[in-house]
Amino acid sequence: MPKIELKHVTKRFGKFLAVDDLNMIIDDRAFVTLLGPSGCGKTTTLRMIAGLETPTEGIITINDKIVFSSEDGIDIPPDKRDVGFLFQNYALWPHMTVYKNIAFGLENLKWSKDDINKRVVELLDMLKIAEFSHRYPSELSGGQQQRVAIARTLATGPKALFMDEPLSNLDAKLRMEMRTELKRLHRETDSTFVYVTHDQLEAMTLSSRVCLMKNGYMQQYAPPLDVYRRPINTFTADFVGSPNINLIHGSVESVSPLVFSLPGDIKLGFDPIEKMNLEVGQKIILGIRPEHVAIAEDASMVEATILSSLPSGMETIVQLKMGDSYLHSVIFGDLDFDVEKKVGLAFTSGKFNLFDEESTNNLGQGRLKKA
Amino acid sequence: MSAKSRLNNFKSFIKKPHNIILIVLFVVLGYLTLVPLMTIIVDTFSVHSSEARFVKQPVGSFTLYHWNKMFASGVTSQKTFYEPFLNTMVVAFLSCVMAIAVGGFFAWTVTRTNIRCKGFISTVFVFPYIMPAWTLAMAWLNFFRNSRVGGAPGLFTVFTGIETANWFAYGLFPIVIVQGLHYAPFAYILIGGILRNMDANLEEAAMLLHANRWQITRKITLPIVKPALLSTFLLVFSSTMSAFAVPAFLGSPVRYQVLTTQMFRTLNGMNPGYGYIMALIMIVIGVGILMLNQWITGRRKSYTTITGKSSNISLFNLRKARTPLTIVLVTVLVMVAILPLFSFALESFIMAPGNYSFSNFTTEFWIGAGRADIANSEPGILRNPSIWLGLTNSLKLSVIVSLIAGTVGMLAGYSIAKRRGSKLSTWVNNLTFFPYLMPSMAFGAIFLSMFAVRRGFIPALYGSFWLLVIVGSVKYLPFASRSGINAMLQLSGEIEEAGTIMGIGWFKRMTRIIFPIQKTTFISGYLLPFISCMRELSLFILLVSPSTRILTTLLFQYNEKGWNQYANAINLMIVVIVVSFNLIVNKLTGASIDKGIGTN
Repeated sequence: MPKIELKHVTKRFGKFLAVDDLNMIIDDRAFVTLLGPSGCGKTTTLRMIAGLETPTEGIITINDKIVFSSEDGIDIPPDKRDVGFLFQNYALWPHMTVYKNIAFGLENLKWSKDDINKRVVELLDMLKIAEFSHRYPSELSGGQQQRVAIARTLATGPKALFMDEPLSNLDAKLRMEMRTELKRLHRETDSTFVYVTHDQLEAMTLSSRVCLMKNGYMQQYAPPLDVYRRPINTFTADFVGSPNINLIHGSVESVSPLVFSLPGDIKLGFDPIEKMNLEVGQKIILGIRPEHVAIAEDASMVEATILSSLPSGMETIVQLKMGDSYLHSVIFGDLDFDVEKKVGLAFTSGKFNLFDEESTNNLGQGRLKKA
Repeated sequence: MSAKSRLNNFKSFIKKPHNIILIVLFVVLGYLTLVPLMTIIVDTFSVHSSEARFVKQPVGSFTLYHWNKMFASGVTSQKTFYEPFLNTMVVAFLSCVMAIAVGGFFAWTVTRTNIRCKGFISTVFVFPYIMPAWTLAMAWLNFFRNSRVGGAPGLFTVFTGIETANWFAYGLFPIVIVQGLHYAPFAYILIGGILRNMDANLEEAAMLLHANRWQITRKITLPIVKPALLSTFLLVFSSTMSAFAVPAFLGSPVRYQVLTTQMFRTLNGMNPGYGYIMALIMIVIGVGILMLNQWITGRRKSYTTITGKSSNISLFNLRKARTPLTIVLVTVLVMVAILPLFSFALESFIMAPGNYSFSNFTTEFWIGAGRADIANSEPGILRNPSIWLGLTNSLKLSVIVSLIAGTVGMLAGYSIAKRRGSKLSTWVNNLTFFPYLMPSMAFGAIFLSMFAVRRGFIPALYGSFWLLVIVGSVKYLPFASRSGINAMLQLSGEIEEAGTIMGIGWFKRMTRIIFPIQKTTFISGYLLPFISCMRELSLFILLVSPSTRILTTLLFQYNEKGWNQYANAINLMIVVIVVSFNLIVNKLTGASIDKGIGTN
C-alpha cells in the first residue's frame, strides 16, 4: 500500500527557495499531478520523493516507512525506495538496444535469464514495441522512445511511478494517444502515479488529484474538477480551464441587496449561496467561466460589444467588451458572430466564484442576476 | 533542360555569396593542399640535387633509390626508418595513454566530484597546452639534465647531489612524460565536455533501477564516453606522432630518433628523398586515423544527441580525501604549469650554467652589450637586434596568420554550414581539415619544394615572409573552420533570412548580424591560430631565412649552440606573450581555446 506522505518538506538551492513547507498525502493507487508554471518547484518535489534530490528539511514517508527525515538523518537511496521514474527526455541508454534497456533493471535484481526474457517480452507486447526490440534508441521515433522508457520503468514492477513531464516532447496527436495509454497503464498496473506537468489539460484529464504549485508553495490540492469549480484563489482559477476564466475586477456597491460595480458603469447583482462578509467599497474580483457567458438577442442582463469571433466548428470563442472590461465566451455549436455588433449577455447558468482583490482568495460562490 | 534555363540556374548559383566562397576555397585549397601532396609523392621518386652524387643519376630523374634504401637495405633501413618509426609509434602511444589518463582523471575530478578550487584547476590546467610544447622539455632539462651528456648539471642534481640517470634525463621516458602532460589539457577539454554534456538522467535512471555506483560507471558512463575517449585518443595520437620539438630537445642528446627528428635531419641534409617518404607515411597514418575516427563516431549507436536538461547531478563525495586530493592536484599543476616559468627566469640570470650561487647571477644575458668571451659577443636579449627582429617577425606573422586563417575559416564555416550535405561543401570541408593531418614539418618541407621556384603568377617565395604566412594560414585553417562551422550550426538559418528579407546586403548581414551573435566562437577561431603560430617551431623551421627568423627558430638555434640562457629567456618571453594574450582575450571577449577544439 504505497501511501506517500510529505511533512514540512523544504528545499533550498543556495538562497533560492525551491519548495517551501510542503505537506501532502498521496493515497495508494492515486494518480496525482503536480501542476504549475515552470520554476514552481514541481520537478524538485518529484525528485525529492524519488530520492534524486535531498530535501533541506522535512520528512518523507513511502508506505508508512520513513525514507527521508532531516531530523533523524535518514536518507534511503532511490533504488531502495521501490519507485520508478520516467524522465522528461526519456534518458534511454544510447549504447543499449531496446531489449537491453528494459532488461537492465531486472539484471541488477539478479533475475534468471528466462524470467528476464519472459518479463521483457510481456512489456514489449504491453507497450506494442515488440518489433523494435533489437534497435538502438537513436533509431526510434519520439513516441517509440517514450514507450521504451515506460517499459523500462515498469519492468521491475515499482509500486509507485513518478513521471516528469513525460509527454512534453511529443507532438499533439501522439500526446493525445499517450494520455489514453497512461490512464490504461494506471489501471492495469495497480500502482500509484505521481505526474509532473505544466499542461493543465493533462492534469485535468489524467489525474485523480491535482496539486497546484506556485513559487514553491502549494496552492491547492484537490480533485481536478473541484479545482475547476471552486478554485481557492485567482491563480488556480486562472491556471485551469481553456479558454481562461474571466477575472473581472470591481467593487462592492451595496451589501443588501449585494450589487457590484464593474468598470464602465456596469452593475451586477449577486446572490451568495453561502455566507460571506463583504463591506461597501471592498475591491473584489469576479470569476466567470467562459461557458457561463451566454449571448442573448435582448439585452437581458448587461450589454456588450463583440470584438472578435473564433469559430472552430464544435464551439466558438467570442471576445466581448462589457463596459470597460473584456471577457471571453464559449458558445457551443457551429456558429459565427458579427464583429462590432451590440449584444446582450446572460449569466444564468453555473455558480460564480468571488475573490478578494487584495488577498486573491476565494470569498465564496453565488449566482449573478440583473442589478 | 534548355540552354537558357541552364544558364539561369548557373546565374542564380553564382549570385549566392556562399557558393562563390566554396568555389574559391575549393580551387585555392585544392592547389595548396592536394598539389603539395602530389609534389611530395613525386619527390619520393626523384633525384634531388644534393643526392645526385651518390645516386649517380641526373637531378630530377626517376629513381627508386629512396624507397629501396628506406625499406629494403638492411642496417641502413633499420637505422634510418624502422627504428625511428618504432620509436615514434611507442612515443605516440605512451604519450597518448599518459595524456588521456591525466586529462581524463582531472576532467572526471572536476566535473563529477566535490573537489575544491575547481576554478583554479580548470584555468591553470590548460596552460601546458597553450605554452609551446618544448617548454616542459626545457624545464625538464633545467631540472634534470646530467653532466654525463648535458655538460652542466641541472637544478635537481645541484641541490640534491644525486646524478640523474640517462634514461631519466633523456630519451623515451621524459619525452612521454612531457608530451603526455602537454596534450593532457587537450584530452581534458574533450573528455570534460562530454562528461559535462552527458545527461545526468542517464545515470540516475540506472541508479533507480538498482545499479550500484560501480555498475553505473562500468555499464553506463564508460560505454557512453567510450567513443569520445577513442576519438580523443586518435586525435592526440596524430598530434604526438608528428611532434618535433620535444623529441628534438630530449631525444637528441642520447640519439633517440623519431620520424620527425629524422625527417629534419634528412630534409635539412643530404637526403631529402628519405624525408619526403617519411612525411608521406605520416600523412597516410594521419588520414587513416581520421577515417577510423569518422567510422567510430558515425556508427549505429550514435551518441551525438546526448544533451539534456543536465540537472544538478549528485557529485561524488570525496569525504576525507577532499582536501588532500585538492592539495595534490594543485601541487601537480603548480609544478607543471608555473614552476617551469621560474626555472626559465632563473636559468636566464645564471652566468655559468649549473652554478646557482648568488655571485654567479648576472643580468648579462638580458641587458649586457655582449662580451667576447661569452657566446661570440652576442648582446643581451633586450639589446639584441636579431631577437627584436625575431619578436617583431613572430608577432607580425601570428597576427597576419590569425587574421587570414580566422577570417577564411569563418567564411568557410559559414558556407559549409549553408550548403551542408552538398558535394561541394563536403569537399571543401575535407580540404580545410586536411592540413590538420599533415605533419607540420612535412607540410613546411612541401611548401619549400613547391615554392622554391616560380609557379605561374606566384614568384619564387623561398626566404620570403609571405611563404611563412601562406604555410601558417593553411596549416591553422582547420582550427578556425571548425569553430566557424560550430558557430554556424548553432545558428538558425532564419536569423540570416530575416535580414535578407529586410534587404540587408550580404556584407552587412555578416558583420552586423552573424558575427556579433556568435562572437565568442568566431574569436576563438582567431585566437587558436595566433597562439599556435606564436609557439610553432616545426612548421617554420625549414622555411625561415636570416631576415625572416622568428622567436621559436631563434630559440632552437640558441639551444643547438648550447647558449642556454638565451634559449631560456626567449622561451619565457614566448610563454608570457602567449599566456597573457590568451587570458586578456578570454577576459575581454569570453573566447577561449577550448571553444575551438571542444568539438570536431
